[in-house]
Formats: sequence, structure tokens, C-alpha cells
Amino acid sequence: MSDAPVPARFYPAGGDAHGHPALLAWQGTSLQVMPEDSPALQVSAARLRVEARGFNHSQWALSWAEGDASHLLIVDDSVVAPLRAVMPALFRSGEHHKRHGNRLFRLGLIVLVLLPLLLLGGALLALDPLTDRVVAHVPASVEQHIGEAVLARTRLDGPMIESGPAFDALQAIGRRLARPGEKLQFHLAERPDINAFAAPGGVVVVHTALMQQAGSAEEVAGVLAHEIAHVELRHSLRQIVRGAGLRVVVAALFGDYAALGGWAAQLGELKFSRDAEREADRHGLQRLAEAHIDPRGLLDFFRTLARQDGGEKHLPALLSTHPASAERSAWLEAAIQALPPTPGEPLDIDWTSVTQTRE
Amino acid sequence: MAMDVVDYEIFGNEMQYVEVELDPGEAAIGEAGVMMYMQDGIQMDTIFGDGSAQQGGFFGKLMGAGKRLLTGESLFTTVYHNEGSGKRRVAFAAPYPGKIVPVDLSKLGGTLICQKDSFLAAAKGVSLGIAFQKKIGVGLFGGEGFIMQKLDGDGMAFIHAGGTLMEKTLAPGETLRVDTGCVVAFQPSVDFDIQYAGKIKTALFGGEGLFFATLSGPGKVWLQSLPLSRLADRIVMASRAAGGGGKEGGSVLGGIGLGSLLGDDE
Repeated sequence: MSDAPVPARFYPAGGDAHGHPALLAWQGTSLQVMPEDSPALQVSAARLRVEARGFNHSQWALSWAEGDASHLLIVDDSVVAPLRAVMPALFRSGEHHKRHGNRLFRLGLIVLVLLPLLLLGGALLALDPLTDRVVAHVPASVEQHIGEAVLARTRLDGPMIESGPAFDALQAIGRRLARPGEKLQFHLAERPDINAFAAPGGVVVVHTALMQQAGSAEEVAGVLAHEIAHVELRHSLRQIVRGAGLRVVVAALFGDYAALGGWAAQLGELKFSRDAEREADRHGLQRLAEAHIDPRGLLDFFRTLARQDGGEKHLPALLSTHPASAERSAWLEAAIQALPPTPGEPLDIDWTSVTQTRE
Repeated sequence: MAMDVVDYEIFGNEMQYVEVELDPGEAAIGEAGVMMYMQDGIQMDTIFGDGSAQQGGFFGKLMGAGKRLLTGESLFTTVYHNEGSGKRRVAFAAPYPGKIVPVDLSKLGGTLICQKDSFLAAAKGVSLGIAFQKKIGVGLFGGEGFIMQKLDGDGMAFIHAGGTLMEKTLAPGETLRVDTGCVVAFQPSVDFDIQYAGKIKTALFGGEGLFFATLSGPGKVWLQSLPLSRLADRIVMASRAAGGGGKEGGSVLGGIGLGSLLGDDE
């Protein structure tokens, strides 16, 4: 045999537990076992039993019977190649065993990795129906309370305006838009940024800057219709409930990596927010049509907005709460085209007196 | 592979430390944070990964460091280098009550599989690898998890575990049933498996759990009498802050309080 002998550990039958170092080599069809401290042995391959064993089957056990006991050789997998090359058939069943173990391990690993992802997917799918159910059970009085709290907070943040042409105009537009029986309150807050927001319980707050920058009463009507749609669809409440649910799911799955989970939850909320904006746009247009107000006002307002923030850099769509203005304008335009043409009744408001006044 | 041969001495009884003597130019590696003291002339150097020769290149180092992260150890290993002209000593202390076991890898065929976290120190050149437990059942119920540590090389290594350590050489076919969590280290020729405890009553009330770990020979195994988690459980249970029954107060009922009647054993 030209091959170098293979190191092994020899446990003779009836010997001690420690075993002896030995060298192995094939001689024809028999295995020559050369222990370091005892005479060499010859074992024919036909008598040998070979199996993979030890930690992760990383060792090979070669055994043969001697009387009613048996001799054992342990060979490490990393050096077994020369033995296997000569008698591959001997090692086949152990090889199979080993592959089987590896396959099971890989399968288990894949399941372990996929399981949390599947759970996350399932939880996210169940989130929307669950939110709907929870929101349906929230009584109007709770919404009222939340609305009052938001309003109180707004009052703390800065002055509110309770009279004057802008306030009167806002109320007039609001009355036109309200459907019979709807309890809506319109508030005007003195703020320098163009904004309007809705809170649960029919509270709509408009900033003075929005009134001043708007080109016409129809534009403000468009914005109000959009905000009223948020109230009507209970978006803020849905967002609160959904956000809480999402955080529970994320915390349960990610545990300690709460910060990471927090970002994921936030991205989820933002996406929800963008979908909600589109829904509110759609319902807002409906409401404008019902009130016989030219729905182009909303579109014009977005053009005004786009001119305003034209110079600023835009957040990527994924990170924004609102759809990008350009995309939104295009969408609105198409939606307005699709509406049945309604005769617009102009709002009877002297708009210059609204924009001129500074309180 | 040329490993550094180190002389050592272990001090203490239940909370031990090992003092390693380094000849000039020799080096030892230690788990981050276990160094107790070192003499003049020993240079301490923190390296990424485990500093064994197998870790060629940046990627190899990164892999080594990643493996250390998986086994719950720090990304860095500290190398203690004797830059002096005479023999110098550095000592590594065990982090909790238990025993330090010196293991000569060259006498063990070069490889030892051990519980993660049990590595304390070694001669430079011993590589710290990771051994995935590929038997799902053993990984889940064997008490050692899926990730074990593999020491490769032919130098001295020092491992540490809780309580008293028992070294046993198993003859071929000899099987030992061990409480899960008590296995510290074994040679790769040892079969590590689990066995169902057999009786539901034993499993529920015997306090040993549903499974035993089984170790079958041939090969050497090391067992610990007190896994750290068990010690920690007892400490927490005894802690007043955690709602345990601290008994130093010397209440009238003393040792026959309701708690001890019900038996607050494990």
C-alpha cells in the first residue's frame, strides 16, 4: 500500500476504557491494525462493521467480533478518506446515515428561520380585520373624549381664533359640507404652517396659514371635505388601535430587538397612513359633490401646496405619511374626471376679506 | 502545528484561578474579561477573532469573530504575550463557583467539544470553533442548545464549569445518563443523545425533566455538578427582592413556614 497509514484509536475487546493509539492500512482485502504498544493484527474486510458515530457523526467506528466481545477502532472523519477509497462499500451505510442527519438538520434550521416570518405574516394579515372589530366596539363617547383631549392640547400649543371673517368663512363652509345629523366642530388655530387635521369625535382643526394661502373658498372646502372624511372613516382611531396592535405583534416576535421592531412598526403605520389619505381623498370628493361644491378646489389646493414645497427636497414615498403631491394630483384629476358632472354652486364668501385679515 | 507549551498551576478550591507560566516569546489566549493579574513583561493585545493560525485573511477573522458571537462570547480575544527575557506569569480567574479543568488537546486527539461559555484560556494556537448540534432533539432538549464550542489544536486549554467537575472515561458501549445541562465537554467520539425519561410521573414530579442526556463511549466526558443556571435559579428564589423566602429574618415560624411545608424545591 502506497497510502500513508491512518491514525486511529484502538479499543481491544476486554481492554481498558482509554484505548490505544494505532495506525491502520489496507493489505489487500484485510485491514492491518498496528497498535503502538502491542503486536499488529489482521482483520478481513468481510468481518468489519463500519458505522458513523460520535458528535454529529464526525467519527467512524470500525468493529469486529472476537468471541462474544468485540474490538473497536475509532477513526476521525477528516482522515478516513484513504480507508474509504479502497473499500467504499463498507462505508456506504454510515455515509447514508450522515447525509440523512445533515438533511434533517438543514430542514430544522429552515423551519426555525421561517417560522417567525410566517407568524409575522399571519399576524399582519389578521391585523386589519382585528382593527376593524376593535374599532367597531369603541363607543362614540370614547371618541368624544379623545377629540376633546386633542383640542385641549391644541389650545395649549398656541392661540385659537374664535371670531373674524376667516372663522366665519370656515364655519360657513363647514355647514355646507356637513350631512344632516353629523356632529362636526371646526376650529381655527393661529399657526404659521399650512395644515389641517382631524381628531376623533368630529373635531377638525384648520391652521390660519392654510386659510390665508388658499386661493378660494372651494380650496378650503376641498381640504375640509378630506378631513371630514378622516373623521367619518374613523381613521385616527383606527390608527391608534392598529399601531398598538402592531407594536404588540412586533414586540412578541422580536423581543429584545424592540428598537428594530419599532422602526418596522412605524413603517407599517406610515403605509397605513398613506392608504388612509387616499381613502379620505375619495370620500372627500364624494362629499364635495353632494354639497354641490366644485371638487376641483381640492386639486387646486394641492397645486398651491406643490408650489409651496416645490423647492424642498422630498422624502421617499415609503417614509412619508402622505402620498407625494404630484402623484396625488394626478390621481385626484382622474378621480374628478370619473365623477358625474355636478352643477357647482359657488360658495358665497368674499375670499379677499379672509386672506387680507391678520389678527 | 507548533503550539506554545505552557506550564500552569491552579489555585483555590471552589472559586479557582489558573496561573499560566509563559516562556519568553510564548503566548496564551484568554476569554475577554477573565484575566486576574499578570507580571511585568507580559504584553496584552486584543485581537479580532481567536488568533489561531487557521484564520487567514480578513474574512477568516470575521468568520472567527462571528462564531464567537454565536457562542455567546465577546468578539475579541485577548492575547498575552511574554515580551520579557525570563519566565512570566499571567492568571485567569473563573467567573463563578466551579472548577477549572486543564485539558491537553494533544492527548485527546486534538479536538474537544464543550459547552458554550466554558472556555477560559488556552495556549496560543488553539482554535476556538463552533460545533452545531445537528440532532434537533438533542439541541432542543439536551440542555446544551444547538451551539457548542469546539477546541482544536494540540496545546493546553482550560475550561471552566460550575460546581465540581467529574472527568470520566467511557469504555466502548458504556452509556451514562446525565441530567440535561450537566454535560460540560466530551471527545468527538462520544455519542451525545437524549433519552425520554420514560414515565410521565417521573418527568413531572421527579424534577429531572422529560429527558436525560445520554453519553456513550468510547471517549472522555466531563460533567459539572452545578450548572450556573441552576445556581442562579436558587439564588433568585432565595432572594427577598425577587419575592423569595429569605429566611435570615428568624421568624417565629422559622423553618416550618408555609413555604417550606409546601417545599420550595426546584
